[in-house]
Amino acid sequence: MDMLKRTYILKGIGDGMLKENISLSQLLTLLINFLLGSAIVVGVGGDAKKDAWIAIAAAILIGFGIMLFYYFLISRVPGNNFFELMEFGFKRPLAIIFSITYVVYFLYLACRVVRDFGELIASAILPSTPIEIISLTICLLMAYILYLGLEVLGRTSEIFTPYLFGFLFLLTILLFASGNANLNEIKPVLGDGVKPVLKALFPTLIVFPFGELIAFTLILPVVTNFKYCLRVSLLGVAIAGALLLFAMFLMIVTLGADALLRSNFPMLSSAREVSIGNFIERIDALVVFIMMLGILVKGSVFMFAGLKGLEYTFRLPYRYFSLPVAMIVSAYSVLISVNFGDHWQEGLEMVPYCLHLPMQFGLPSLLLIAVLWKRRKKKAKPGTKGMKF
Amino acid sequence: MLIYLTTMIDTKLLKETILQSISGKEDGFNLTTEDDLKSLCKEKFGGAGYQLVGSFDEIITSLLYGNIIILFKDMEKALSLSMAIGEDRSITEPSTQTVIRGPKDGFVESITTNVSLLRRRIKNRNLRFEKFIIGSETNTSVYIGYMEGTANEKIVGEVRKRLGQIKVNAIFESGNIEELIADKSATPFPLALNSERPDAVASNLLEGKIAILVDGTPFVLVVPAVLVDFFSIAEDYYQNFMMGSFLRIIRYLSFMIALITPSLYVGILTFHHELLPTPLLLGIIAQREGVPFPAVIEVILMEVTFEILREAGVRMPRAVGQTVSIVGALVIGQAAAEAGIISNIMVIIVAITAIANFVSPTYSFGAAARLLRFLLIIVSAILGLYGVLIVLVFIVAHLSSLRSFGIPYLSPVAPFIIEQQKDVFFRFPIWSMRKRPAYLKTQNPEKFPKTGSPSPPPMKGEQSN
Repeated sequence: MDMLKRTYILKGIGDGMLKENISLSQLLTLLINFLLGSAIVVGVGGDAKKDAWIAIAAAILIGFGIMLFYYFLISRVPGNNFFELMEFGFKRPLAIIFSITYVVYFLYLACRVVRDFGELIASAILPSTPIEIISLTICLLMAYILYLGLEVLGRTSEIFTPYLFGFLFLLTILLFASGNANLNEIKPVLGDGVKPVLKALFPTLIVFPFGELIAFTLILPVVTNFKYCLRVSLLGVAIAGALLLFAMFLMIVTLGADALLRSNFPMLSSAREVSIGNFIERIDALVVFIMMLGILVKGSVFMFAGLKGLEYTFRLPYRYFSLPVAMIVSAYSVLISVNFGDHWQEGLEMVPYCLHLPMQFGLPSLLLIAVLWKRRKKKAKPGTKGMKF
Repeated sequence: MLIYLTTMIDTKLLKETILQSISGKEDGFNLTTEDDLKSLCKEKFGGAGYQLVGSFDEIITSLLYGNIIILFKDMEKALSLSMAIGEDRSITEPSTQTVIRGPKDGFVESITTNVSLLRRRIKNRNLRFEKFIIGSETNTSVYIGYMEGTANEKIVGEVRKRLGQIKVNAIFESGNIEELIADKSATPFPLALNSERPDAVASNLLEGKIAILVDGTPFVLVVPAVLVDFFSIAEDYYQNFMMGSFLRIIRYLSFMIALITPSLYVGILTFHHELLPTPLLLGIIAQREGVPFPAVIEVILMEVTFEILREAGVRMPRAVGQTVSIVGALVIGQAAAEAGIISNIMVIIVAITAIANFVSPTYSFGAAARLLRFLLIIVSAILGLYGVLIVLVFIVAHLSSLRSFGIPYLSPVAPFIIEQQKDVFFRFPIWSMRKRPAYLKTQNPEKFPKTGSPSPPPMKGEQSN
């Protein structure tokens, strides 16, 4: 395996292939922003109505399981990312085919994230600006960040994360202070039984946002202190899950279940409710700006995952692809659906079954089996290993 | 035979010392061999700088440095005595980085004085200076200073390497060096700290940084520099830590105000009226009623005017200073507003931006805010506050990609180092800041042993534990 890795690096061109590292705290902030990303924008678990928060709480537990699964997969062959692991499991030709499917998958998800954001901006703060411009600008920014590398993405998210916490804290205080939050909205708990909760949980909540953690199979191997990686990842899932849960709780008590279901961007609608002393009001525009960070990180992580796939396939440093791929994402974010309703429906009905489930769990499970089998075979006859080379 | 350049040497000193000591003496010495000459030198100019030079080139070089050359009959070596002219500006208070409490001396143009100012502050055998001659035509002396045993050897080596690689003809100011050794030049942010204050440089040396002194300029460079260095000044450590922390936060705030206020004005007035409370919005709209320009033109007009006034303020002869300030106050003041070119609120925006920009303790860092402000204004006119945020994230991404001698520019914030937070946004009490910056990877990470906070002695009868 070492041999293979070495030739892989040797074939890389120039300094673009230099090993980059991110710290544990950067991993943590990336995870938090990634999971909050578009989930907090569009709201998750709406099917469970008043009990959406219960669905999210359950999803966090499953999220731990998902994170463990990906970590277990990645830690089989330390230092290798998902695509290199596929090479280990399936040989290169097959791995390339799978990689290309994953590249398309990740870039499609990046498109979806960018589209969510574009719709949010277009409907909330810049109504007369075409969505193309918004897609283009945010994709250019992502291209620049990814051109500078994963380290820069990690540091950028590290810097902005405190603002995210500050904002959520502020919003909570303002909502309660302005008397919009009505804790009775949460009752009755489980009024319609467990069924809606399960319906919200599976598969929507599992695959979005927790299943999307598969993109982190490309990031985990480059964390400096791999020993604590699992702990930090689980912590990240816990913090992000708690924030998501809290945000959902806030939305329910502010808007009530009916308004929550009707609203395209429930977080935005909640923020609109804030009004204190005719001075602090209409802060929804500010909310959007804070949401942008999550979108930026999530979109960039997906794009990075896609770029890594291209790097693996073409054996060229991924930086070379960052601008062209960002432009493709920008164009397709507009083309993937005709309007927001279409986009929404596609995301709720088609994508979880046709894309998320096989790509997040089907293929990785297959890969895990293949890797485990290979490793066992290798262990079983250690004597022949030397003879091979 | 005596050779010297009259313009370069102190003739009085020459008369007093050399001529007396040599010609006034009967020929007790038999100057035939080199050793004789050496012993004569030892006896006569024991303390003064002397050197035996052999080649023609060496003689010319030492003449240019202000030495006198004594040629002897039947001798291959000549004697070179340092007698450079001693007339320099005396040590005065620095004109750029002033303090209320703190030492009032500043660096001067003479590099030897500057080195001595540092040595006087750090009486430590580990303080090392190394000399470089840079500039193929100016032959400027450049010293690097560092604490041996503290500074990271790799960074010192990198500084040596980069200084050695410089191939320009002239060095007149440390700014030249700064630009030539920076990790990246396509950035508005300075990648080396400059200071006129010996105390600031000395404290940086003790942190494990490296000073670069250039002959002929009072500005000393300190590398590696990180972003937070540009917000902390020596005075933070001379006054109460609460006040120091407060002022530091004010400085960060001012930087943000200087950077984004004009673009916020443009963005809010053009796209997001709803963010303002209604009475304020009505007030602004009423003021702007007679103004013929959109907000962005108004802002650019006034900001450029202010920049012109500022530049005029620096360049103008001192005698006409009064005129410019009066005219300037009228141009960006009430008169312009009354003439209907700009609104009153615009005067406030320009004024607060300008004042906030002057807060920046290092001039070169304030320049970054001055430049980026215009980019933000233009983007804000196109995309509103969304554009402002895009550019801000862009700036942060750019900052996090920068490095100063291999040290990430945003450390210790990103990469986050928790123990370093004692000296970033807040200034903790001195006794608690025991560690040198971890991002520098110094050889000796602790400054002093753990002592705990100072407390009064236990009172009579109280148990001391």
